[in-house]
Amino acid sequence: MFVIELNGVAKTFDGAIHALQDVSFSVPTGSVCALLGHNGAGKTTTIKVLSTLLKPTSGHAIVAGYDVVREPAKVRASIGSIGQITALDWELTGRENLVLFGRLRGMRRKHARLQADALIHQFDMSHAANRRVNTYSGGMLRRIDIAAGLMVRPKVLFLDEPTTGLDPRSRRDVWGLVSSLSAQGVTILLTTQYLEEADLLSDSIVVMNEGRVIASGTAEDLKRHVGLGYCTVSPVNPADLSKIFAVVADLKGAEADYEANTVSVLAPDGVATLGEVFRRVDRLGVELADITLRRPSLDEAFLHLMDSVTT
Amino acid sequence: MTALAALTERVVLAAVRDDLPFAILSPAVSFAVFNLMLSNVIDTGGMSYPQYILPVVVVQMLLLGGLTTVDRAARDELSDFADRLRTLPISTVTPLMARMLYCLFRNALGLLAAIVVGYAFGFRMFGGFVYAAAFAVLVLTLTLALSLAADAAGVLSAASKNGIARGGGLSQLLLVPQLLLVMLSTGLAPAESFPDWLHPFVRYQPVSQVTETLRGFASGHLVVSDLATSLAWCLVLLMVFGLIALRIKRRPQ
Repeated sequence: MFVIELNGVAKTFDGAIHALQDVSFSVPTGSVCALLGHNGAGKTTTIKVLSTLLKPTSGHAIVAGYDVVREPAKVRASIGSIGQITALDWELTGRENLVLFGRLRGMRRKHARLQADALIHQFDMSHAANRRVNTYSGGMLRRIDIAAGLMVRPKVLFLDEPTTGLDPRSRRDVWGLVSSLSAQGVTILLTTQYLEEADLLSDSIVVMNEGRVIASGTAEDLKRHVGLGYCTVSPVNPADLSKIFAVVADLKGAEADYEANTVSVLAPDGVATLGEVFRRVDRLGVELADITLRRPSLDEAFLHLMDSVTT
Repeated sequence: MTALAALTERVVLAAVRDDLPFAILSPAVSFAVFNLMLSNVIDTGGMSYPQYILPVVVVQMLLLGGLTTVDRAARDELSDFADRLRTLPISTVTPLMARMLYCLFRNALGLLAAIVVGYAFGFRMFGGFVYAAAFAVLVLTLTLALSLAADAAGVLSAASKNGIARGGGLSQLLLVPQLLLVMLSTGLAPAESFPDWLHPFVRYQPVSQVTETLRGFASGHLVVSDLATSLAWCLVLLMVFGLIALRIKRRPQ
């Protein structure tokens, strides 16, 4: 069952700028999906379409069972949307902001106050809750910003670059929060530029580039999509590096890195490739410091995907 | 309803920490200052100067209040807060209505403060309760009309590509015409004290018309033609800017 579904969504600004082209993906209920891509890839535009801030030029998008164009009010009632930039009232305190957003979602004042206090406690903000938010640090703003989106537990939560500009500790706090919300059954779509973050938090990843989806699946799928691991050999004596390179040069993707003192080849057949490399090097009689078979990191998968799109 | 109450409360809370105290006190203070400076300088015929001048002080409060409304609307419109409001299950007119309620609240308090200080200086509501009520109703109707206009101007300036207007410069630009309207009116001095060639303008411009109407209410009589003109101004402003305000409430692009 999918709680977010995009089908051929396109968004064109001023008739000329194609921010989104034929974007299709879906997010299963209760899962975390990461939209991964560089600046300008179309991540924020996608979030804005899904949270009814922008109308798609064509295509369909369903959130929580409602069409974002035909039933925007029902979509809004089901979502929480937290943008890249803090969207709080600067003149109000943290607590007042929370109560305000609770009441804007139809909570009674008393109930909103109770819920605000609970979130303030949960987010470890008790020391600052009665200060105006314009005195907050970036991490504190982010926490109150997210808390404001949780006054009424949404079915679907959109987080646009939730950790951009945060220090490592606040970043981990946000990660913990995403995990715990997900455990409570909230479906989360977040955008990020950090592969690490996508890998760590999400059940599925959608990679975007220049307004298009260029790959999607789990982190494992994406790594597999790049296909291959690498087999890397490292001699004890760096002087042997060129000899090793010479005997494996005919293998696919052979590369010598003199700085790192490694020779690596693509390993399409996994362990079989490793065996082949080992036999060849063994015949040389060179003493090896290390020989490893390595799965590509998500970083490599990402760069590989980007390359395959741009070339 | 909860959303409207919450948003109105938000504007009031923010304003209390910002300009609300000054907004409420400034008509009372400028009334006092005008009296001390001008009461022996300007000949207002049979009428005492406090009685003569209180209406224009109130009108000036409406105009200056309108300027802060321009700014507030522009700021609200440009803020990320406003973007977030658009993702909430509330009507797109609610933020506008909240700002209007705040304007009514602010001007009601300002009017009250001005009248209290006015009484200390000798201003009186000679016409009794009904005329006093008419005075207040006209002030609040004008508040609504001007605030709608100011709000529309603010929202439009926020949407415009002009840097000065976007930066809140619009209210600065509007300060000049509103000052001229107050100075060149029968609010501070009778038309006879202006040069002849200015008489038609001074007599028939809206600030004079409204001031005369309010002055009439305070004295306990009603000049029908002045009231008609004042109400016509209200109606035109309300209709034109009400429509504009409703039309430009930002929809998804």
